[in-house]
Amino acid sequence: MTPAIDTTQLTRRFGEFTAVDKVNLTVEAGQFFGFLGPNGAGKSTTIKMLTGLLAPTSGQIRILGADLTQNSAELKRQIGVVPEGMALFGRLTASEYLRFVGRMYGLDKATTLQRTDELLEFMNLAGENKKLITDFSHGMQKKLALAAAVIHGPRVLFLDEPFEGVDAIAAGTLKSMLQRMIARGATIFLTSHVLEIVERLCTHIGIIHRGQLVAQGSIAELRARSVAPPRPGEEAPPQPANPLTLEQIFLEIVGADRDGNLATPPEQELSWLS
Amino acid sequence: MAELNDRSVPAPSTPAPGIPATTQLLAIAWLRWRIFVNGFRRQSSGSKVAGLIFTVVLRLILWPMFALMAIGPAVACGFLAWLAIAHRHPQGLVPLLAAVAILWQFVAVNGVSMAATLATFDPGSLLRFPLRFGRYLVLRLALGLLTPSTIVGCLALFAAAIGISVADSSLAPAAFLVLAVYAAMNIFFSRMIAVWLERWLATRRAREIFGMLMAVVIIGFQVLNFRGLKFHRPTGHPSAAPQNWLIAFLNGTHAFLNWLPPAFAANSIVGGHALARLAQFAALLLWTAIFFAALALRLHKQFLGEYLSEGAPGAAVTLRPHHLAAQAADNEPRSSSNEERATGNLQLAARTFISPTIATCLRKEWVYLRGNSNQIIAMLTPLIFVAIFARGMLARHPSYLLAGSVAYAMLGLLAGLYNIFGADGAGVQLYLLAPVRLRDVIVAKNIASLALLLTEAALAWCLVAWLATAPIPLATQVSTLFWVVFMLFANLAFGTLRSIQSPRKVSIAQARRMRSPSAGKTSGLLVLAILFGSFLLQIPVTMLCQHFDNLWLAALIFAPLAAVAVSAYALLLANVDHLILTHRDLFAEELCSD
Repeated sequence: MTPAIDTTQLTRRFGEFTAVDKVNLTVEAGQFFGFLGPNGAGKSTTIKMLTGLLAPTSGQIRILGADLTQNSAELKRQIGVVPEGMALFGRLTASEYLRFVGRMYGLDKATTLQRTDELLEFMNLAGENKKLITDFSHGMQKKLALAAAVIHGPRVLFLDEPFEGVDAIAAGTLKSMLQRMIARGATIFLTSHVLEIVERLCTHIGIIHRGQLVAQGSIAELRARSVAPPRPGEEAPPQPANPLTLEQIFLEIVGADRDGNLATPPEQELSWLS
Repeated sequence: MAELNDRSVPAPSTPAPGIPATTQLLAIAWLRWRIFVNGFRRQSSGSKVAGLIFTVVLRLILWPMFALMAIGPAVACGFLAWLAIAHRHPQGLVPLLAAVAILWQFVAVNGVSMAATLATFDPGSLLRFPLRFGRYLVLRLALGLLTPSTIVGCLALFAAAIGISVADSSLAPAAFLVLAVYAAMNIFFSRMIAVWLERWLATRRAREIFGMLMAVVIIGFQVLNFRGLKFHRPTGHPSAAPQNWLIAFLNGTHAFLNWLPPAFAANSIVGGHALARLAQFAALLLWTAIFFAALALRLHKQFLGEYLSEGAPGAAVTLRPHHLAAQAADNEPRSSSNEERATGNLQLAARTFISPTIATCLRKEWVYLRGNSNQIIAMLTPLIFVAIFARGMLARHPSYLLAGSVAYAMLGLLAGLYNIFGADGAGVQLYLLAPVRLRDVIVAKNIASLALLLTEAALAWCLVAWLATAPIPLATQVSTLFWVVFMLFANLAFGTLRSIQSPRKVSIAQARRMRSPSAGKTSGLLVLAILFGSFLLQIPVTMLCQHFDNLWLAALIFAPLAAVAVSAYALLLANVDHLILTHRDLFAEELCSD
């Protein structure tokens, strides 16, 4: 089966700084993939490259089996994106924005209008039809950005921090929507710092640290990897009653600095702080 | 919340091949229209009605002035084209078309801030949609067609075509066709320059080199020794030696100029044999194609996701390892208590004769300025044109030359006074939270702006004094000084007021790429109105001086005006804390939102 997302030696440099370093990433079709990493690890840069917004310095990106550079317009029709800054047009209303996005993706007028109404209703934004997007709260803008990302029925959906600033009720709605999309065959590539949500939603995880992909696999695989293997001659330790959480796995992989020290500041620092 | 049903989640689908170009282009045209219409809707809400009326009145006054600026060159161009053909001097078309090209680029360079003020969105934001490159290229070309340079240039060429047709109707088809291609070439050329400059100036080092080059060009004007240049002097004259080479150079370039687009365009219209004209037209088309290709090449890079800035977007700040941080902290002098820190601040204030808040804010403004090479370029560019003015039509009118040059040099910087909190963005909350007087913050920002403006004015003043052909009387210099004080403080007062009443967030990333205006549309128009108004004031004042044969009269008129402007600014400062507190909500809405 052709992977939905496949990168080979994907690299992006900004001057001397290497933001993404030879990443080989494979996301199978139908997976709910969580892409994790500390702040500045290269998550958003990777998403920008995977969605064609940023050119890689080197390496190859294949989306749904086709080369992204060679087929960018065709592939952009099959992907949906909620980018880091949401990239909404603030001086439009929600309805106007969704109608514009629908037309840009080639939907006919009738379908665009129908889906616009349904999505606004579903996202609980139908009552805000006279408000400009710039006057929306952050959570409302997130919901609108997600609605715009799915209006054309994408096969692959990229979400950069979709739950940031979204209230619990709206987050529940979004999660249900995303799970429904997975059930219907879509692939979702998600970054989030809320590891509980990632653990609950995602089937597979990739962890990027300092631009390098340091772990990739199902949560069970990562959990197995995080448990230290027995030394020769020793018996395997018994399975813990409470298996490692994704947060524990994540901290074990990236929670230390270059020297192996935990990032938590020692007690003696900031001693003036009451 | 609506029930979650299958209909609400569009099913993943393989799209039908190809989106018609008209669908996407019409969608973008509709987007622009809605943004335009909704912009009015937002302005008209509640307390902004007064602002809307003010904006409309301001535009009613200013647009005719802009129209005159466009129509003036067009009428002149039409007349000169008619003159060249009717009086059988067809070669006169070459300098005329060259002048149009230079005018086009002059307006393009000076219209950047105006175009940015009128821009409603960045075409780059459309790249996430499934656009083909051809459509993106068409969009990029179409979206800037209403810039001042294109309007002025196209009107001038259209008038030239009419002038040629009136003089000789048989040349009409060729004139309209060739000048249409020439207009396209100028559009491609100015766009090409803009996108390549954006690319080259993306790195700080390149900007610094560019700044140095600009400085060298300015100094180069003096090396050319225009001051002593008199074409009618005999070659044996002692001062003629340095000028002979220049005249020889200018004569030598004549053959070279024949290979440039203005000559090809002119010769395509009036070049003698039909085959020769066709060949000239082909050469013009070749130039147009070269500029277009260079433009397309750059836009294709952008289309593929080029990122020009040096720093990674959102890259992590490299954290210092803890032991290094601790070591550094040990090496730094520590203030163990608030009292000690306060004493340090007072000492600082005593050293600088200004309050610690102002000193701290000034230091922050200096850090901002230090990292902004574009500002240096923006300051150097007008000086080149000032040097040209000093040798041009204003050279014999020192009364207007000095004030005009200083006003022109400061024009680009004045807009910054009208949105002093824009670059701070959400950081403005710190001023509201910290135990400081907001007046001090504003004074610090204004001191920083004044330092830049006065530097620019002083440089322009020195250039004019250096290059002017006629001596500038002391009375004129004194009156200009008062006029500058009046203009600066009037702009400071209005600008500070607008900064509080109508703040606008400035994207640093876009500002670096010169794509973001430093102030809103109304503020931009207000700057122009005050500048034009105060400059136009020079005309009746100068006439009055001539009538009474007393140049000091101007100083007597501008001195009280300057005093009034300074008083108005002081009055504003006295009330600025209260004014900001009453506009806290607006600050949060405009500067702190995403």
